[in-house]
Amino acid sequence: MPTRRLVCSLDELPPGGMKLVDVGKFGVGVYNVRGALYAIVNYCSHEGAPLCLGLIGGTNESAPESPGRLRRVRDGQIVRCPWHNWEFDVTTGQNLADPTRRVRTYQVDVSDGEVYLTA
Amino acid sequence: MIIDANVQPHFRSNAEIRRYLPEAHQLRAVPDVEQQWYQAPGGDYRQDLYGQHYPGSDPETVSRHLFDDMGVDYAILNPLTRGNIADYLLNTSICAAVNDWLLDRWLEPDGTDRFRGTIRVNPEDPRGAVAEIERLADHPKLVQVGIPMQSREPYGKPMFEPIWEAAAAHGLPVAVHINGGNGVDYAPTFAGHAHTYPGYAAFMPLNYFVHLATLIVEGVFGRLPDLKFVFADGGYDILTPLMWRLDTFWLSMRDQTPWVDRYPSQYLPGHVRFCSSAFDGPLDSGEMQRWMDFTGKSDLLMFGSSYPHWSASRPDVIAGGLDDAQRDKVLWRNASDLYGLGAKENAR
Repeated sequence: MPTRRLVCSLDELPPGGMKLVDVGKFGVGVYNVRGALYAIVNYCSHEGAPLCLGLIGGTNESAPESPGRLRRVRDGQIVRCPWHNWEFDVTTGQNLADPTRRVRTYQVDVSDGEVYLTA
Repeated sequence: MIIDANVQPHFRSNAEIRRYLPEAHQLRAVPDVEQQWYQAPGGDYRQDLYGQHYPGSDPETVSRHLFDDMGVDYAILNPLTRGNIADYLLNTSICAAVNDWLLDRWLEPDGTDRFRGTIRVNPEDPRGAVAEIERLADHPKLVQVGIPMQSREPYGKPMFEPIWEAAAAHGLPVAVHINGGNGVDYAPTFAGHAHTYPGYAAFMPLNYFVHLATLIVEGVFGRLPDLKFVFADGGYDILTPLMWRLDTFWLSMRDQTPWVDRYPSQYLPGHVRFCSSAFDGPLDSGEMQRWMDFTGKSDLLMFGSSYPHWSASRPDVIAGGLDDAQRDKVLWRNASDLYGLGAKENAR
């Protein structure tokens, strides 16, 4: 059964930050994306790498009319797996190349300035 | 029904092309179709076809061999030109001469209505290539655009895109085939200039993958949903592991080419076909059925005899080891769908 547990105070998890919580078999990463909180399992759907140790940033989308034909988007919500560079959106758990290759997401809430994870 | 998607008709002699060149280019040096460094043992063409004129140069003889002896119902004629010529405007003129000759000697006089033809264009002259497509696209017997495998840039590069746009707009597939003549080319194999014919013949056809990969990765297929490429020298047997590689790297580095919005291999059914080759596939035909279904190759492959080439293959040999459904697809169904041929026969 999932249980709700204290992660840290919101002050310790500013926008752009991640807290790795020792829960379950692989751990869960709790992310602050521009002030909103999300959590994904620390286990890449590809080969099981510790996904949450990967860099968090944005991604590129096609921009046919601009000179480089690329546009930077979704800044601060894309984690890249440290092993093979697979991209996941931490707000949905979806892999950007193949949405069927997703990772598990969890509920996060804030109460009285404290962050809680249900996992 | 059987459709042969790869037949090379030839001029009766190399010089015959001059009758079809415009006056401005008529006295220029034009390389011979056989001008190349790698000669097949015993000659480039089937030994019984050598005579007074070039093998594959007499429509009646070709009809007899294809339609009577091999049981072919329709044959797609894809003539060679004369290599990538440094004067690209001369080359465009040569392509137009080949097209006019094909119409004059093969397609217009053909009472059997079983020959279809190719509009040869020179990709090194994109403006001239588009003009040639516009000139001939409406001819009912010209069913595809033809370009050389040899190219100084992969066909996914942006300078070629106007040609592919014109072909797609007219619903004409683009067939890539190793050309005749020795042009201004890079080394023919990834191992450089082979010393011997087997090295050349085994590896040269695999250059198709460079074109295919760039057409996918540069987003050409994504931008032109109606564009179809036919790789007419075979190589389908190595398609699966190469597509695995493209798919793998796309999963990791999709953000570098975000216009590729699906697995690279998912572009194949809508955009890519192959002609069979005597050199393709496992030697043990017992492995054939399983191998054909990897990467959906049963839906991509069309029988192509390569007549009158020395390694020309018969339909029963190419279909050897296939199950009934695969056999139908390879011998006619895939080509019938691509070229819109044989609706009458299919209805029977």
